[in-house]
Amino acid sequence: MIATLAFYVFALILLVSAAMVVTARNPVHSVLFLIMAFFNAAALFLIAGAEFLAMILVIVYVGAVAVLFLFVVMMLDVNFAELREGYQRYAPVGAAVGAVLFVELLMVLGGWHFAPDAASLRLGQIPAGVSNTDALGRVLYTDYVLLFQLAGLVLLVAMIGAIVLTLRDRKTSRHQDIGRQTARSAATSLRMVTVAIGAGVAPGDILRPQPEAPLTPPEPVGGGAGHGGPHHAAEIR
Amino acid sequence: MNWTAAIPEIFLALSGLAILMLGVFVRREPTFLCSMLAVGALLLTAVLVLGGSDGAAYGGQFVVDPFSSFVKLLVLAAAALALVLSLDYNRREGLARLEYPVLMLFATLGMLVMASASNLMTLYLGLELQSLAIYVLAAFARDTLRSSEAGLKYFVLGALASGLLLYGISLVYGFTGGVGFAGMAQALADPVHASPGLIAGIVFIVAGLAFKISAVPFHMWTPDVYEGAPSPVTAFLATAPKVAAMALLLRVMVTPFGHLLGSWQLLIELVSIASMVLGALAAIGQTNIKRLMAYSSIGHMGYALIGLACGTPEGIRGVLVYLVIYVFMNAGTFACIIAMRRRGLAVEKIADLGGLGRSDPGLALAMAVFMFSMAGIPPMSGFFGKLYVFLPAVQSGLWTLAVIGVLTSVVGAYYYLRVVKVMYFDPGVEELDAPPASLSVLATGTALFTTLFFVFPGPFIGAAQAAARVLFG
Amino acid sequence: MIYAVAVFAPLFGSLVAGLSGRLIGDRAAQAVTILCMILAAICGSTAFVQLVFQGGSPGTVALGTWLDVGQFQAPWALRYDTLSAVMVAMVTFVATLIHIYSVGYMGHEKNPVSRFFSYLSLFTFAMLMLVTADNLLQLFFGWEGVGLASYLLIGYWFDKPSACAAAIKAFVVNRIGDLFFAVGIALVFFLFGSIEFSAIFAAIGQHQNAIYHVLGADFRAYEVIGVLLFLGAMGKSAQLGLHVWLPDAMEGPTPVSALIHAATMVTAGVFLMARMSPLLDYAPGALAFITVIGGSTALFAATIGCAQNDIKRVIAYSTCSQLGYMFVAAGVGAYQVSIFHLITHAFFKALLFLGAGSVIHAMSDEQDMRRMGGIWRKIPATYALMWVGSLALAGIFPFAGYFSKDAILEAAYASGSAVGLYGWVCGMLAAFLTAFYSWRLLIMTFHGAPRADHHVMEHVHESPPVMILPLVVLAIGALVAGFALKGLFIGPDWAAFWAGSIANAPDNHVLAAMEELPVWVGFAPLVVGLAGIGTAYLFYMVDPEIPVRLAARFGGVYRLLLNKWYFDEFYDWLIVRPYFALARLLWQVGDATLIDGMPNGAAALAADGSRRIVKLQTGSIAVYAFSMLIGLVVLVSVFLLFR
Repeated sequence: MIATLAFYVFALILLVSAAMVVTARNPVHSVLFLIMAFFNAAALFLIAGAEFLAMILVIVYVGAVAVLFLFVVMMLDVNFAELREGYQRYAPVGAAVGAVLFVELLMVLGGWHFAPDAASLRLGQIPAGVSNTDALGRVLYTDYVLLFQLAGLVLLVAMIGAIVLTLRDRKTSRHQDIGRQTARSAATSLRMVTVAIGAGVAPGDILRPQPEAPLTPPEPVGGGAGHGGPHHAAEIR
Repeated sequence: MNWTAAIPEIFLALSGLAILMLGVFVRREPTFLCSMLAVGALLLTAVLVLGGSDGAAYGGQFVVDPFSSFVKLLVLAAAALALVLSLDYNRREGLARLEYPVLMLFATLGMLVMASASNLMTLYLGLELQSLAIYVLAAFARDTLRSSEAGLKYFVLGALASGLLLYGISLVYGFTGGVGFAGMAQALADPVHASPGLIAGIVFIVAGLAFKISAVPFHMWTPDVYEGAPSPVTAFLATAPKVAAMALLLRVMVTPFGHLLGSWQLLIELVSIASMVLGALAAIGQTNIKRLMAYSSIGHMGYALIGLACGTPEGIRGVLVYLVIYVFMNAGTFACIIAMRRRGLAVEKIADLGGLGRSDPGLALAMAVFMFSMAGIPPMSGFFGKLYVFLPAVQSGLWTLAVIGVLTSVVGAYYYLRVVKVMYFDPGVEELDAPPASLSVLATGTALFTTLFFVFPGPFIGAAQAAARVLFG
Repeated sequence: MIYAVAVFAPLFGSLVAGLSGRLIGDRAAQAVTILCMILAAICGSTAFVQLVFQGGSPGTVALGTWLDVGQFQAPWALRYDTLSAVMVAMVTFVATLIHIYSVGYMGHEKNPVSRFFSYLSLFTFAMLMLVTADNLLQLFFGWEGVGLASYLLIGYWFDKPSACAAAIKAFVVNRIGDLFFAVGIALVFFLFGSIEFSAIFAAIGQHQNAIYHVLGADFRAYEVIGVLLFLGAMGKSAQLGLHVWLPDAMEGPTPVSALIHAATMVTAGVFLMARMSPLLDYAPGALAFITVIGGSTALFAATIGCAQNDIKRVIAYSTCSQLGYMFVAAGVGAYQVSIFHLITHAFFKALLFLGAGSVIHAMSDEQDMRRMGGIWRKIPATYALMWVGSLALAGIFPFAGYFSKDAILEAAYASGSAVGLYGWVCGMLAAFLTAFYSWRLLIMTFHGAPRADHHVMEHVHESPPVMILPLVVLAIGALVAGFALKGLFIGPDWAAFWAGSIANAPDNHVLAAMEELPVWVGFAPLVVGLAGIGTAYLFYMVDPEIPVRLAARFGGVYRLLLNKWYFDEFYDWLIVRPYFALARLLWQVGDATLIDGMPNGAAALAADGSRRIVKLQTGSIAVYAFSMLIGLVVLVSVFLLFR
């Protein structure tokens, strides 16, 4: 009874905050609502007995993804008013499409019945006396090793993609060359000079690091919007 | 567990990783080396595919059969062709980075997994692996606005399509109680189970896959992405993923949902007709040859879907034969498009082909061969592709599809032949540069295939027949 | 293997000469094609000898699958039996000689002639495909291939309007025959469920009583198929009615006339009859039709030959006439005899054409016999060779034509049927006329007072050895082929020789009956031939005024013959003019207004639709996403509502 009540409460909050994510005028509010939605979804998982998923959802989505979103939203000076420009225009069409889809899904729901052997076909039956995490771990690396590895490859590709599309090797950026650093010796970097008292150091005696290559003027940064102007400028026509 | 069934995939994944590491540690300009290694890896994988034995593995998530082998070989060939196409182009456009071949390998790996998927989860992961790599490839020329725009659009719309697909998968799972194809087929053996929810789920899955083969109405991304992406990526995009996604569509529709043919047949017919009509009409006004190819591929996918709509082994065979022909003539066409350079700069207007018939007769002839083939004029291979899908359609009584197919072919012939007309009869603005050897060789090879297909179609048709039969058990 | 080399070597030569002729130069292209042809001839002859004399076993050389659609299968395969082997040996042999001859004949061409040699080799390849075909479709492939090569070669001098017109005429007239042939093939497939010869012949017994109902009348299937196939053969072999293209085809270079329009291509129809003999033998009606057409052609063409003045046209009509003989033989069931005549004819007709070419070459490209004469001392070798050819053509003992023509007439007589007798009468009359026009040609060309102007006469010279040598070889053939081959082809052991490649129905005894004829039947052709020669001698040597008086006296007949029985004019009036009128009507009313109107309207519609669709392509992600969703909703709705 309590569980049912809790389910409906959490589900309601989840739906409302999901709607707010889309409709909130301030993007920061949107992200905050998103975090709220994640928390409620985690609660729903808990009610369903999937405590591992609930915790993962909180740690990964709330702890990492949503916060990242927040950073991005706050750091990028996105003109949300401009993005919302078409809102008025598309709203009626969108509403109509949504309404039709909704009615149809209701129809689908009307015809709902479980296949007689649905229970037996269910995936990943949890053996008795085994904790949620344990059960997941047992099948993840055995029965589902193929899918697990594939998911790993998907992540690898995502990483490569992020690097390919954003990493820029600028001429002006300074890299640490560990090999060169450790290869230095006192002999090459120190020179002992004897300076007469009161004479000061002659201008030529001051050693300054010689630039290896002539410096090129820094690349013009597009839009003046701080980091990575050009590659975010994929204009949406 | 019979893990050896996936040896080609494992090998490809490992070689992708190895090439990535090698590329990082090789000091001097690793791209060419990595590309050649990647081509080698693709070929070796093909050998492994040929040597593999049939059977299901990984608890039924993965299956190796004549169908998957056929598709894999075709995908590998398409990927290898696309990789070779990119060599010269990437060097000239400053895109020669080692991630390019690596991403191609991973995309290909995703397609191989798709070909072998016998489980909705494997299907989804393969599809995502493939898509994600291609999103990045489409935006690979990150400093040009059009390329990043293409990548972004493809990504956003692809995410939407993936959402639809996942939604469909969850609906189907809910109504059948399984995600394995065999179990689903069993659960659906009695068509009484075809509840509205299940049908809606199937429509969502079809929508997600139709996006990948750019069938109408999920095609909108195609022209923009084709135009914006670097040409070799477009060549890749137009061939290999289409094969893999179409193969997936075939397997999903025939194996688990085969008993519901009556329910989904009309769906495929509608999509097919819409694709053929739009592919034929929208291409007429195009001036950019890559956009033209985008609409052309939409149309071709419409023709191929005719075979699926039949729901018979002959129809599926027709689709597979069509794909073989399509891959080679498209790769050849893109070889010609990539060869279009004037004073070192890539050009892609149809008008830029003017006078090619005189300035470079060889290239013009190859292009003409491909255009005739795409228009479906015998004895070019394209004609036989259409023949092998129209015939089963007629046999299955799908006259409407066959008639519309023929009519749209006529409209399509107009814009294909316009390219030929521009090459041979329009005055040239200025001569194009001589194409590099790799492109000439590739264009010649594929042109020969396209021209001579009719002499020895036997092995292809036989293999396609065996592949199609296995889907029907 | 050897057999396949014989077939494909010419293709290789053709491709090399055709594709890289400009690259490697004329000489090299000629060398390549000729070497390939020599190779093919050696292989072809070896294959023949192996099969016939060394006890080789007939079979098929499978090359691959061509078409496999449903029950319709057409493999690429080479049939290796006596009939095919004989034809391969003959074709490669004659074609080789003509290739060599062409080096000399085309020597004065200004433009590169690699194209010419490429076409010649291509023709040879197509002809070989035709005779080695294992199924009707492959035969049709070769059939059309030779048609194409013939078109290309007749129109070789494409800057000559008459050559282009002749090429088109040949192509179009052949199309008419090919249409019937194609329908015949289709009927064969419908009846037998296969187009492979072995399958057809094996099932001959089963379908004997198959009947087609057309327009309320019943036709036996075999008769219909037989007549259709023969109509196809009529086009290719220039039989009465569809013969009009052959004389015009003489616009092509003379080696072409010799190769295509005398020795090989035009005999394809006869070959087809022999190949389909197992079927035809059960179609007596079709056979009678063949005999009547063949006999009529033989006589009709011979009459025209008597009044023509162009040296090549005379020989062309003679070809037409000789083909008629072959069909008479096929029509009375003596296919072996028709093939026998086909082979001997190949030798002496190629010889005559090449000899005529040599004369034309000597006379600075003059073809009109009225402007020749008195040159036999200047070109004695050609003169002698032309005599050999003419003697063979007229059927004088012991030249090749004597044996084969004699056999045909004997077979016609021996058949005992009314049509057979008709064929015999026509053949006898034609034999007289053949001898007559042959000597008319010889005398007008070589004897009498020179009628050419002195520039030409000063220039008359014997042809180079490269042209004479093939002629000598052919002359030897024309001398001995009949004598040497008679025993094999129609001798007592013919059944062992043909080994079933030509089949006779059980009730077909015509070859046996030939042995038991009255003696005079055997001598009659020779006598008639000698009479013809005598008449020609009288008319053109002794008293040249006779033909002039005759022409004046029987002006109508003369004009009829001179104008080729007004066949061209008749067709012009019956078909060409109404056709043009109809075409003009269809063009101006039907096409320009109605039919163009529809596609123009459709095109406008399509262009309009295109604009609308492209307008949707705005580039906005939101629009794209919306269109996807709308599409999805539409599809889902369709399924939930109309499932």
